[in-house]
Amino acid sequence: MAHRLTTCTFCGVGCGLYVETAGNHILGVYPSVSHPTNQGKICVRGWHVHEVASSPDRITRPLLRTGRSFQEVSWEEAFGYIADRLREIRDRHGANSLAFLNSPRCSNEEAYLLQKFARCVIGTNNVHHGTGVYCNNSINALIDMVGIPASTNSLQELADSEVILVDGVDLGRRMPTLAGVVLRAKLKGARLIVLGTRRHRLAESADLFLQMKPGTEALVYGAMQKVIVDRGLADLHFIKARCSNYDAFVSEISHYDLLQAAEGSGVAPELIESAAILYAKAARAAVLYSTSMEDRSREAVQAAVNLVLLSGQLGKKGSGLFPLCEQNNLQGVCDMGMLPDRLPGYIPVADAARRGTFEEIWRTKLPEDPGHGARSILWQRGNGILKALWLARYDPVQTAFLPEITDYLRQFELLVVQHVFMTPTAELAHVVLPTTAFGEEQVSFTSTDRRIQLAEQVVEPPGGLLPAWAQIVRVAQLMGAAWNYATAADVMDEIGTVVPLYSGANYENLGRDYGRQWPCTSDRPLGTQFLFAENGTSRKFHFAAVPKPALADHTSKEFPFMLVFGSSLYYWSQNVLVRHSETLKREYRWLFLDYPDGFVELNTADAAAIGVRDGQPIRLMAERNFATCAARVTDEVMKGTIFVPYFMSDVERQMLGGTGNGACLLPVRIEKEAA
Amino acid sequence: VKARMVASSDVLKIVDLLQARGYEVIAPFLGRGRDTYFDTVSPDNRAQIKIHLPNPYYPPKRYVIPHIEPLLQIKRDNGNIRIEAAGEEKKRALFGIRSCDVAGIDHLDRFFLGREFGDVYYQNHRKNLFLVNMVCTDVEQDIGQECFCLCTDTGPAARDHFDLQLMDLGDEFMAVAGSAAGEELFAAPIFKKATLAGVDKRRKILDAVRHQFKTTTSWFSAAVRYVSQGKVSEKTWEEIGLRCFECGGCSYVCPACTCFTISDRKAGPNQVDRVRIWDSCGLGGFTRMAGGFNPRRAVHDRRNRRFFRKLAHYFIQRELSMACVGCGRCAAVCHGDVGMPSVVEMIRRAAAGAEQQ
Repeated sequence: MAHRLTTCTFCGVGCGLYVETAGNHILGVYPSVSHPTNQGKICVRGWHVHEVASSPDRITRPLLRTGRSFQEVSWEEAFGYIADRLREIRDRHGANSLAFLNSPRCSNEEAYLLQKFARCVIGTNNVHHGTGVYCNNSINALIDMVGIPASTNSLQELADSEVILVDGVDLGRRMPTLAGVVLRAKLKGARLIVLGTRRHRLAESADLFLQMKPGTEALVYGAMQKVIVDRGLADLHFIKARCSNYDAFVSEISHYDLLQAAEGSGVAPELIESAAILYAKAARAAVLYSTSMEDRSREAVQAAVNLVLLSGQLGKKGSGLFPLCEQNNLQGVCDMGMLPDRLPGYIPVADAARRGTFEEIWRTKLPEDPGHGARSILWQRGNGILKALWLARYDPVQTAFLPEITDYLRQFELLVVQHVFMTPTAELAHVVLPTTAFGEEQVSFTSTDRRIQLAEQVVEPPGGLLPAWAQIVRVAQLMGAAWNYATAADVMDEIGTVVPLYSGANYENLGRDYGRQWPCTSDRPLGTQFLFAENGTSRKFHFAAVPKPALADHTSKEFPFMLVFGSSLYYWSQNVLVRHSETLKREYRWLFLDYPDGFVELNTADAAAIGVRDGQPIRLMAERNFATCAARVTDEVMKGTIFVPYFMSDVERQMLGGTGNGACLLPVRIEKEAA
Repeated sequence: VKARMVASSDVLKIVDLLQARGYEVIAPFLGRGRDTYFDTVSPDNRAQIKIHLPNPYYPPKRYVIPHIEPLLQIKRDNGNIRIEAAGEEKKRALFGIRSCDVAGIDHLDRFFLGREFGDVYYQNHRKNLFLVNMVCTDVEQDIGQECFCLCTDTGPAARDHFDLQLMDLGDEFMAVAGSAAGEELFAAPIFKKATLAGVDKRRKILDAVRHQFKTTTSWFSAAVRYVSQGKVSEKTWEEIGLRCFECGGCSYVCPACTCFTISDRKAGPNQVDRVRIWDSCGLGGFTRMAGGFNPRRAVHDRRNRRFFRKLAHYFIQRELSMACVGCGRCAAVCHGDVGMPSVVEMIRRAAAGAEQQ
């Protein structure tokens, strides 16, 4: 038997856990008591993360499509086929007819090599990660405003926060270990402010719960900022020393009005006022929101950052901004440049001078124009011009909130899928490359608080499976690239040369302690616990002027309910790892036993008022369209709203006509349907 | 009492004695930081065995109820169905198991073997298990922030249910035999005649250690009374439930928790394996019934189940042993700090407050 410290690969918290093995079997996992983030705790997913590796449903041989079925082929045959087809399609249709998407669960090495393959070997910027389908409003807003698109502080620092503001994200269900950090901080005396439409687990423990109508975040933040400015609570010293564009910001803020915002958002004005004062007066206050699966406007992100700047809650321990990455390596794949408009380290592809540095290191000319993003690639095949698509561990059929995605995927001349399982997406592929699972390869991941950590190999993969990164290398070599990486550690060494934030990280030091938090550089070899500690004037933060949004409420007497389409809440229930673990399948998918045809969610009081019981079918009537489905009656959703989970694609299609526009709000009325 | 003295330099030779008798010996090792674990002793790691260290978090109960355990295999072979029992019979010795975990195994014995139908899988593991209990004497290393075995009356020195007990007296160890198999070891020359000075020193060290626990406010018997008499209000349970994020960790790390689920997994085109997996009463899918009805639908209704099971008189009487052994793991594993010590405190405060009114 052996015990090895590794990193949980489920969500972005990046918990440290031990794997116990006997021979080539994983016996079980348990949390590390000493890991700074999870300190002896892991969630139900962590306790069962190893079940994926031992799942009997794994695919272990490369599969090549022959007509309607697949045929097992040798690895070299599969790689040769892919290389030939990619070359042929590139020569015939040009480099920009190929696209590469990966899952935000791919390792740093996989992500780095996939985008390098696309950019250097193929010659296209058509690269993106799957989460780009839902939301990508944070990276640009954060780069513009604070310069770095990541959590500024460490998760464990929340234990020292005086005030914690959780915006939107249902941490208890989606990042339970982080919810625990927040709750324990609250038990120790921190004040907890929760913003959002849903009354989720953490909202129950909040000191102030600002339950707002959907889409009114920017309005509430603006009103809070007005209170802070009017009461003279802004940190003018910080603003003067370190921020720009304050005047433009303030002039927009002057248009906000507390009572108006209260009416527009449905939040009592006293609550908005108290939250603003509590946050601004705190010595150390943190703001948490999700960048992954929330549909969130650019303005809502900017408004949250403005609040942080206005109160000077940056550059000190226990405060800061946490744009949370929910999948385990969303941070890492973005750092590695799986973005259509940015090279590794967030360098814009259009920046000729800095692109030149990459061209020197990679010894090749790079494409200058930004590529297609995930949404454009998957929906309508980049306006119909894309011919080939490579999906690394990504299963858009089950996880992307897009109608008719199966049809679009079928139209590709070449679809390459790397995955652990035969997913519905893989069923559509021309070539399926099975990949390694948790515990079968040594690679690195970057947590939502910038912690680059190793996941260790503890067992041999079945049937001589190659790690996914090595598969990319092999295809690149067949296409003429002189790539020479013996191990994933070699890939990390190269990452260090092109991404300055990672320059001090290598497998030797990542394997010591508990990884390294970037920036990890030669003058900061131990990494950086929180950003902007240096008090110099070199770092300029930038306020965004956010005009007061128009009131979003279009409900009327005839259509009194607002239909909200959410890609977030039940995300994990569709997850492929969850589907292949006995316990997780049960815990995350029992809702589908209770509501076999799916559900929309309705507030308990609303349900009582119209006489609808839990599980009863209802008809959603909009001005032009209608849909029928079961009601799940719960106190979690706000009165006057109906929540449509993203997997209810029929409802979406009937109500919105299949545009896949999850941000859309639609006024409806409810009619009872005869059972 | 059958006691002997062992020189400090000889104490690891007990591992060799057990190996010579055909036991796979499991002993505690230091991982990274304060992390520790039980692992199989081999010539490569024998020198790294630690006598004083934080009690391993992943509980040794997995040697009697594994985290995942194959129960049987159903095989299809030329149209015939064959069912074969899985499982291994292995002689194992746990060297360095703490008193709380010894009490845990005793509790599991009573649960799995103590009534009409014995659990054969458990029995197979248990009958071949040799327990070498190490008494917690090093206040810095052995006794954690969350330990409260004083309150559950299970430590720091176990009174029974071990085969051999060792206690560090500083310059030598005192060994106490708790079974015939343990006593049989005393034939080896490393065991010397017990001295009066040794017995005296043992008592003095134990007296001193008892006063150096960090968590001693666990009002156990009061909590047992409040829970058994139904004096814990719904509001208190709700408050406790609100702090549970349903990870299942408290059940997994508990030396006395017995919940499991059974699942049939496809293991190949012609084979299905039936496995038993650790489970937790805190999980919604565990309490949900096949028809969809969940008698414990709200989180706090599930969460309080754990404390009824451990603190209610009915269960204590049924097994003549309490399903909490004071190891403190649940306090360390809990995201919302509703491990046993905190809950006992919450119950006591709320119920005592109500009684005074």
